[in-house]
Parts: sequence; structure tokens; C-alpha cells
Amino acid sequence: MLVKKRGKQELRSIWDWRITAVAAFLLVIIGLLGISFGPINLAFDQIFKTILGLPNGLTEQERSVLIDLRLPRVLLAALVGGALATSGAVYQTVFRNPLADPYLLGAASGAGLGATIAITNAHGNLYGLLPVFAFCGAILAVLVGFFISGKFFAEPNSLLLSGIAVGSFATAIQTYLQQRHSASLRPVYSWILGELTAASWRVVAWSSIYIFIALAILFAISKQLDGLALTDEEAYSLGVNPNQIRVIAVIAATLATATAVAASGLIGFVGIVVPHLVRGVSHRVTNRALPTIALVGAGFLVLADLGARTLLSPAELPIGVITAFVGAPFFLVVLRRKRLVNQ
Amino acid sequence: MFKKIIGAVSVLVLLTTVPSYAATGDPKRIISLSPSATEDLFAIGAGLQVIAVDDLSNYPTSAPITKLSAFTPNVEAIAAYQPDLVVLNANATKAQDIQSALEKLKIKVFVEHAPNTLADAYSEITALGTATGNLSKAQMVISEMKLKISKIIATAKRHKPLYIFHELDNTLYSATSTTFIGHVYADFKLVNIADKAAKADDAGYPQLQSEYIIKTNPQVIFLSDAQDGVTPAAVAKRAGWSGISAVKKHQIVALPKDIPSRWGPRLVDFYQSIATAIGSAN
Repeated sequence: MLVKKRGKQELRSIWDWRITAVAAFLLVIIGLLGISFGPINLAFDQIFKTILGLPNGLTEQERSVLIDLRLPRVLLAALVGGALATSGAVYQTVFRNPLADPYLLGAASGAGLGATIAITNAHGNLYGLLPVFAFCGAILAVLVGFFISGKFFAEPNSLLLSGIAVGSFATAIQTYLQQRHSASLRPVYSWILGELTAASWRVVAWSSIYIFIALAILFAISKQLDGLALTDEEAYSLGVNPNQIRVIAVIAATLATATAVAASGLIGFVGIVVPHLVRGVSHRVTNRALPTIALVGAGFLVLADLGARTLLSPAELPIGVITAFVGAPFFLVVLRRKRLVNQ
Repeated sequence: MFKKIIGAVSVLVLLTTVPSYAATGDPKRIISLSPSATEDLFAIGAGLQVIAVDDLSNYPTSAPITKLSAFTPNVEAIAAYQPDLVVLNANATKAQDIQSALEKLKIKVFVEHAPNTLADAYSEITALGTATGNLSKAQMVISEMKLKISKIIATAKRHKPLYIFHELDNTLYSATSTTFIGHVYADFKLVNIADKAAKADDAGYPQLQSEYIIKTNPQVIFLSDAQDGVTPAAVAKRAGWSGISAVKKHQIVALPKDIPSRWGPRLVDFYQSIATAIGSAN
């Protein structure tokens, strides 16, 4: 009895789950805002009435907007935000580098090449397969980096460098293809800036499967991930096999990233700003924070997408512009506070 | 009646004109790096003076298509053809540098600016006529275009406002009334739903939201992305679009390939496509 209680107390000192509860609550509020606002504003009470099947709900057209457009878009934003923020945090831990982001290992360039191949295809019939191409491109780029670095994860830095080289190589081919097909510049450009305009239930369905699997794995190994902060010798003495954990972590984080990129293009900055924000605000560096980071990432992207849909309404603003425009200054404030605390 | 006679006469003249070899001093080795200029040059009778056109100049089929790029022109590749006049688009990569490099090689350069209005398109044809020694034929082409277009607009006259959506690609980019394409729709007095989003893009090509299109309920949808594989059936299946008037009444028009993005004599065909669509929407 006493042992159990002490275990709980210890856990609380590592991570305070009340922070997670606050993050979840905020996500719900932001989600409701995201569902309600747009070129066609839907009243909260009418949304609830419609969902509960009561009279005086939304009109037929508003219902269709809510169910076919809003809900999948808000859900996709949440999924992508959660996936990118969590993978960012995991990459930062694995590479012991605060600047690591989900696109570090060439996933972004690989996905970019895949997407460009789909868009510039001469017959134009590959466009529907764009997510598949982007997904395969991201996975392939990371795999190639993986095998070229040879020693796998004994040296995270060599993996990082080969990832950067593979990324540059993929970018070179992508730029060449783009140059050869100038008519496809705009679609490629808007894909690179990231967009949730293609959200549909089908996209939500397949992306949620991969993202949930990846996040479940990462959450499950969050305790062992903390062991990576130690030297490898110390980690071994605590019963953690650092190489094994690094391999699992990078595979799962890459799966999440590739899925997010395939569903929404290259949305930047979420993977850097959200982990640092959560760690900065909570004053904790543990990976027990991963579920909270996922929730905050989800909320951040739903909010950014709300901006993308409303700021220039009825036109669309690329979501990547908002994540970086809002994220960067926010990030700098957190960084500065952290530095002051450290002094 | 009088207009009809002029029209008939100008058609006759067009048909009987023998390709006249340019007078001395006129360029005899022209390279066109603009698909629209290529169409203009062949229509005004300068076709025989053209020795090479860029890789996108696919009309008319008699144009000597090459691998030259209009988007990223290469001075050496152009010079290898020993041209005496090069038509260059002002939006080509480093257009000014390319122009001065060619001029250093004593090659004349005709810089073409993408037109904003029909009048701009006509003045390009006139300018090409002057530059190539085909001015009178160029003027005939213009008067014929003017006649046909005004006729098409007159027959498509309607009294109630008609809401239209011009789709550039399947991510819902569109063109406002300030653009060249937009001016064509404005000539028919159609209500362009992209205009509400004009502030989003200074060039007049905003990306619209699906919801906004559902809300404004356009009566005709024009697909200039039909050439990229977008079909009316695919548009009808988009989430939430089944209630849109254009979808319900099957008023989704697949525009012919290249026509909406060229400002040459085939503009008449673009006007005709729109007129036909309006006619069946009535």
C-alpha cells in the first residue's frame, strides 16, 4: 500500500497529469471553435441539436458543410498536429538536439519528391495517388539514410548527416522535375506550404490508423526514451538498450511524420515549437509529456487552421504560413524565459 | 448588315492572301518563346518567317516545335538557331538578362507582357505585325476577332445575374475579374464568385474555400483544369457539392485544352465556349 502510494508520488514529480487534463480541455474548446467558424458560421446550439437529432438544428446545406467539410478538416488538423508535435519531441530526444524536427531525416524532401512526381506526371492521372507517393517518398528517404549511415544508431550524428544528404539529393530531383513542368509550379508550391483543403473522411480514416499506431508505440516507450538522455553506458546499467529504443522511436516517429505529410503537405514548425512550449511551460524535460505534447500539437494546428480559413475568407491562406508566423515569436518568448530561468 | 459584309470580305481576304514573303529588313528567322505569340505569328501570316518555337507552343500544328524552354530560356541554345528576332515573355526567368545577352549578340528581342485585357491582347498582335512586316494582315485578324467576339457576346445576352466559378486547379484556385480570364467573363456580365476574395491575392488568383463555393451556389462551373484530368463527374462527387446549382443542373463545363490560357486568335473559341454554356444555363 505504502509502496504504491510512493510510486504515484514519484510519478507526479516526474510529470503532473493535471497539465495533460488542461491540454485536453483546451483541445476540446479549440475543436468546437474550429467546427463552428468558417465562411458559413454554424451556431453551437444548432450543432448540438443536429448531433443529438433534436428539431431546429442546422439546415440541409449547413449539415452537409458540418459533416462533409468541417469535421474531417478539424479532425485531420488535430491528427496531423499531434503526429508532428510528438515526432518532433521524440527526434529531439533521440538526437539530443533541441533543433531536431520531424523533417530532419529527409522525410520532408522524400515526401516532396513523391508528391512532385505525382503532380508532374504527364498524364495527370496520378494526382489521386499523391498521398501514397508522398508517404512512400518520406519512408524511402529515411530508409536510404538509415542504410547508408551503416552503423544504424550507435552514432545518431552519422544518421543525421546521411539523412541530410539524402534529403538534399531528393530535393535536387524534385527541383529538376518542377523546373521541367513549369505548369505544375502552383500545385507543388501549395503542397509544400501545407494544406488541409483535401481533408475528407477517407483521409481522416487512413491517417488516423497509422498515426494512432505510431503514437501508441511512442507513448509506450516514453519511460525508456528518458534513458536516452543519459550516456549509453548509464542507460545500459538501468536496463535500457539505447540502440533498440532509438530504432523503435525513429521508426514510429517517421511513420507518424510520413502519414501527416502525406495527408497535409509540409506544415512546418509544429514539431519544434510545441515540444519546447510544453517543456518550457511545465519546466520538465521528461518524455512522459508526450501525450500532452500530442494534445497541444493537435490544438495548435486546429487553431492555426481556423486562422487559415478565416483570416482571408473566403480565400484560403496556406496553414504553414500561420504555424511559422505565430509559432516563431511564441517560441522565442519561451526560449528567452527558459534562458532567464537557467541563469 | 454592314458588319456582316465587312466580316465576309475579311474572311475572303484571309482565305485568298498568298503568303507574302517579308520585305527586306523584316526578320526572316524568328524564334517564338511564347505559345500565345506563336499562335499570333501564324495567324498574321508570319508563320514562314518562324524557324523555331518553344516546347509548349503546340498550336498551330505546323509550328516548328523544339526543346527550347519559354520558362527558363537558354541564350546559347537560342543563339544556335541564328535568329534575327526572338519573342520573349516578360515573366520568363531572368527575362531582362536574357534580353540584354541576346541584344549583345545583335539579335532583336520582342518582349511580350502577359495581357490584362482584350485590348492588350490586340495591341500585342498589332505590335507583332509591325515587328515582322505583317501589319495589314494583323489588323485584319484583329477586326475579325472583334467582330466575332462582339457577335458572340450579343447572342449570349441575359437579363438575370448568373453566378459562375472558374476553376484553375482542383485545390480551388480561381481568377477574379481583374485578371485577363476574369475580364472575359465580365464581358458577358457574369457574376464571378472569386471577386469576394480579391484581397487575398494582388495578382487576382485567390484560392477559394470549398465552403464558400457551396454557400455562393454558382450556376455554372468552368473547369480550366479539365486538361489536367478534372472531370465534371469528379467535381459533382466532391464533399458537400451535391447541392450546388451547377452540379444539380449539370452545368459544369470542361473548357478545351490551352484555350483559356492563351491570348491569341483562339480567344474567339473561349468566348464561344462560355456563350454556349450560358445558353444552356438559361
